[in-house]
Amino acid sequence: MARALSTAPPVAKTFVSSNARSRRAIDKVATAGLWIAASAVVALLLLFIGYLFWQGYSEISWHFLTGYPQSATAGGGVGPEIFNSFYILVLTLTFTLPISILAGIYLQEYSGPGRFRDIVQFSAESLATVPSIVMALFGLLVFVQILGWHFSALGGALTLTFLNLPAMMRVTQQALASVPATYREASMGLGATKWQTVLRAILPSAIGPLTTGVVLVSGRIFGETAALIFTAGSSVSYGASAYDFNPFHTAETLAVHLYSTQREGLVPDATQIANGSALVLLVMVLVFNVVARVVGRQLTRRFTGKA
Amino acid sequence: MVAARANKAHRDERIALVFLMGSSGIFVLAMATILLFLLVNGTKLFYADHVSPLAFLFGTEWDGDAGKFGAAPFIAGSIVATGLAILLGGPLGVAIGLFFSELAPKRVAAAFKPAIEVLVGIPSIVYGWIGLTLLVPFLATVTHTQGNGILAAGLVLSIMILPTVISLSEDALRVVPTALREGSAALGATRWETMSRVLIPAASSGLAVAVILGIARAIGETLAVQLVLGNAPVMPKSLLMSASALTSEIVMEMGEAPDGSPFRHALFSMALLLLLVAMGLIVLIRLALRKRT
Repeated sequence: MARALSTAPPVAKTFVSSNARSRRAIDKVATAGLWIAASAVVALLLLFIGYLFWQGYSEISWHFLTGYPQSATAGGGVGPEIFNSFYILVLTLTFTLPISILAGIYLQEYSGPGRFRDIVQFSAESLATVPSIVMALFGLLVFVQILGWHFSALGGALTLTFLNLPAMMRVTQQALASVPATYREASMGLGATKWQTVLRAILPSAIGPLTTGVVLVSGRIFGETAALIFTAGSSVSYGASAYDFNPFHTAETLAVHLYSTQREGLVPDATQIANGSALVLLVMVLVFNVVARVVGRQLTRRFTGKA
Repeated sequence: MVAARANKAHRDERIALVFLMGSSGIFVLAMATILLFLLVNGTKLFYADHVSPLAFLFGTEWDGDAGKFGAAPFIAGSIVATGLAILLGGPLGVAIGLFFSELAPKRVAAAFKPAIEVLVGIPSIVYGWIGLTLLVPFLATVTHTQGNGILAAGLVLSIMILPTVISLSEDALRVVPTALREGSAALGATRWETMSRVLIPAASSGLAVAVILGIARAIGETLAVQLVLGNAPVMPKSLLMSASALTSEIVMEMGEAPDGSPFRHALFSMALLLLLVAMGLIVLIRLALRKRT
């Protein structure tokens, strides 16, 4: 056997070592490929950000950010639209947060395996994949037609509530899952009931990641478009003021405004308005992301003492 | 005193449970209501306007005034654009998932992760706007066409589904036991061999879920697609021709379709189709995950 090995033709040897070398080479190429892929996506994002700033920064002015939109002349602002975006976001969160946080607590902390749990989970997953345009038609049927609200901030917010319940619930579940089991055991061991444990031990420990998640989802609600065109409408209120708190009045958001100026805008500066609106939307996304991280970290530190 | 407090705690517990289960029930109620409303309104075209479902699904002519409601051009547009998005975004997303779970040093991950988070947050209308003003002119110059069409839509969608595919495939890869990595390395495998022959097969069902949810995101995407497709309601013959998709057609025409008209019913049928596809994908995910356990 040893003899056979020692007399093995040299060509086999080079084959083995070149094989090992080529395997290492493939490994290097693949590693480089993965690095390039990840870097390319980050570069793409930077390109988008740079492009939107380059296109939009000259449109941004105090007048643009607070002024009223024009229907047929240049120089319109997006003040009421920005207001409506925040207003509908606040309304949406008012409905979404309690429901999804309670449901998240139920699924994560309370329910054992069983049929009710299965049905809730399946519903949440299905709800999460309902396309926003399908949700828009549902909102159009229920809020605009059957309830007769016409296009309204409330109808838009309720449509967005349906759309975002699952994401908020998942955020809650993830935040709760990050709390170590020992916290629950210690609390229950001291004689606390389950609800007391949730309120006083688990939620305070989960408040950091929960807030981060909630703010990130809020950023998505802020930019939602398709679900709002046929529920909150594509024009601002023409009441006493376009800054209108009446939830039953039509309320075009900034994202919808970007769409509608492209779709049916008669203003000569539609492109400039779209560039400015796109930049404002991007900046808001960035702000939401930074706030999510900073506030989440602060709350975690405050409530758990962890860095 | 102690007993009273204990009683109160138990009463709170019961009240809490009612609210917790009630909130969970809202999810079931919401989904059931949506399904019911769309089933009723999405089938009116068939039972009230007597358009056959086959003519709707396979008809290639879309002309509301002539009573022709063939949605095949939009179905084809949705399928091809989504397919393109998955073909490009699927492998790229899984690769970046691999990068985050296997390669990325902590600092790099800390720098790249927020970028992915921002990509999720950018509104679809802004993606559409970038597509319309940056990608479409670029494609137009390179290919000497109008630039809009299914290729542009597929490219925009492939970027939009990336965050979904990346984070889900990273999760799927992370739960593969470390012992498998160590075993593979001990047998002399290089890192890439471990990834491609051990980790990817071991995480295959999770990766399948990542790709399926990517499909779900792509097929339901509306405005980004609408802005770059060109919106011609005809069967797409080339990737570089103006075309239309289910979602973009709904958003284009809903404002002009009078309540109660066959036209509007046809749009609801398209929405129903989208909803059924989305739910079908959820069932598919359940099957993929059941195989694992």
